[in-house]
Amino acid sequence: MVLTPLEHELDSSGPLDGSVIEVRGLTKRFGDEVLAVDRLDFTVARGSVCGLLGPNGAGKTTALRMLVGLVRPSSGEARVFGTRVTPSNPVLQRVGAMIEAAAFYPYLSGTSNLRLYWEAGGGRWPPPNLDDALAIAGLGNAVERRVKTYSHGMKQRLGIARVLLGEPEILMLDEPTNGLDPQEIREVRRLMQRLADTGTTILLSSHLLGEIEQVCSHVVVMDRGHLVSAGTVAELVAGTRWVYFEVDDTTRAAEVLGRHPGVLGVTPEPPGLTVELDGIPRSAAVEALVAGGVAVETVTARNRLEDAFLGLLRESAGA
Amino acid sequence: MTAVLRAELAKQLRRPRTYVALGIVGFIPVLITIALWASPPEFSGRGGTGTFFYYATQTGLFIPAVSLVVLSRLLLPFVVAVFAGDALAAEGGWGTLRYLLVRPVSRGRVFVAKLITVIFFATIGSMLIVVTGLIAGTIAFGWNELPPIASLFGLDQPPGEIARNMFVATLYVGWSMAAAGAFAFMVSTMTDVPAGAIGAGFGLFMTSQIVDQIEPLDEYRNILPTHYLEAWTSLFNPRYSDGEMLSGILIQIPYVIAFCAIGWWWFHRKDIKS
Repeated sequence: MVLTPLEHELDSSGPLDGSVIEVRGLTKRFGDEVLAVDRLDFTVARGSVCGLLGPNGAGKTTALRMLVGLVRPSSGEARVFGTRVTPSNPVLQRVGAMIEAAAFYPYLSGTSNLRLYWEAGGGRWPPPNLDDALAIAGLGNAVERRVKTYSHGMKQRLGIARVLLGEPEILMLDEPTNGLDPQEIREVRRLMQRLADTGTTILLSSHLLGEIEQVCSHVVVMDRGHLVSAGTVAELVAGTRWVYFEVDDTTRAAEVLGRHPGVLGVTPEPPGLTVELDGIPRSAAVEALVAGGVAVETVTARNRLEDAFLGLLRESAGA
Repeated sequence: MTAVLRAELAKQLRRPRTYVALGIVGFIPVLITIALWASPPEFSGRGGTGTFFYYATQTGLFIPAVSLVVLSRLLLPFVVAVFAGDALAAEGGWGTLRYLLVRPVSRGRVFVAKLITVIFFATIGSMLIVVTGLIAGTIAFGWNELPPIASLFGLDQPPGEIARNMFVATLYVGWSMAAAGAFAFMVSTMTDVPAGAIGAGFGLFMTSQIVDQIEPLDEYRNILPTHYLEAWTSLFNPRYSDGEMLSGILIQIPYVIAFCAIGWWWFHRKDIKS
């Protein structure tokens, strides 16, 4: 099929590699002092679930705000479906964004809030998937009550329902499980999984590693405004070299491993210790421990995201 | 544009506070009527707005006039500042502004829809004064001719003309709030604290009135937005009508344009961090 230039523009499916979000050199400076986001680069492929991971204050929310045109970049750019994001750019109709907590007019009911939001953007009420969205919020009759009377969890769920009204192709969620109880957290994670399965691209910011590991296929790690690492969760985890040894005598074990070649670092974590290995097999370390008279109970590869994350932050702090 | 404007009007119409603010403005003329009915003033003979209180006990048509005297210096500017100052700052405070903007609704549309809504409710608030004033006044004192003594002050309009002039006077007083309202609206684009923006608009109005009292400033006071606040009284005193109302109407314009332009510019370049 040959596309005329106009059709080509309408078919704004993004560049050929299929990324629907592209961030290039994105920088935000607030005043002279604060560099909230520093030359951030990453892309999110269509249909993937990408975690934006970082400690509090890493610049995740500012980055998301730039992605939806609320905050203007000091330099660099954010593109969504190939379109450079500007304030209230029409491309945002294809994006559902929940930035920080859900927020509503407190004196209006849940339904009225959804309706005003929908109609203000020129939508005809009710939107086709209203029932689905309300089912996801799971508020029952409470949806007719004033939002003022809602718990935090109810507001969050209504907030998720609101961003789903437009059946967005990209969902940006900023710590969506913040302040939810365990049951609600599980439901929100399931929902994200379900949306991902139907092809929705999700960008999920979180400081909860478990959440990212559970839900995301890709991860972008940020610290103090800049990019630390980006890739698939599997790649990130594979890059770790930490092993946890449970032993009978941690002091002696630390001594033995401390002078063993190929061991970069030893951190006591009773009843064992975490060891950073530099390419030597785990069995070599176990041999050394046994030879040194230490009984080894268990050996666990610490190749979990948390360690990768903490390791990356340590590297970024040292750099 | 109409979609976001309809949504804005709906938001305000369903807000209890709208009715509290309008209710207070609409109720003051009723209170004044009751007070005048309970203890009617004597004819002062000095003319001016003081005489209006006496007229009001002779014909209910003058209740709106005394209501304007009472309300225009304090309560009406406050209510207008509340509507204007709240407009964008409240959305910032609640955090709803960011959801409106990423819906997406353009910042220009949000700004214009909010401004129209403020003008709409400020106008309703002003018009309530003359409407409830005429109703309460007519019930208590009747739809009468003015007493013969009024003609000594050049006031010999028939009841229909007085009623019509009351509407003109009220529109004039409402418009006299424009500079302060625009200032509150401008500050509303800059803050997420509605009280700050309301205070700014009301503060401007009060400051202007205070500065207007400083005699040595002489004709420099002519540029104050409240300097011609009572020029509407010339509607009921044709002998002294000297075009002050026109000055009062015109003086608002540069303030309104400047404050709205700054607000527009600020709102467009602002980073939404609320």
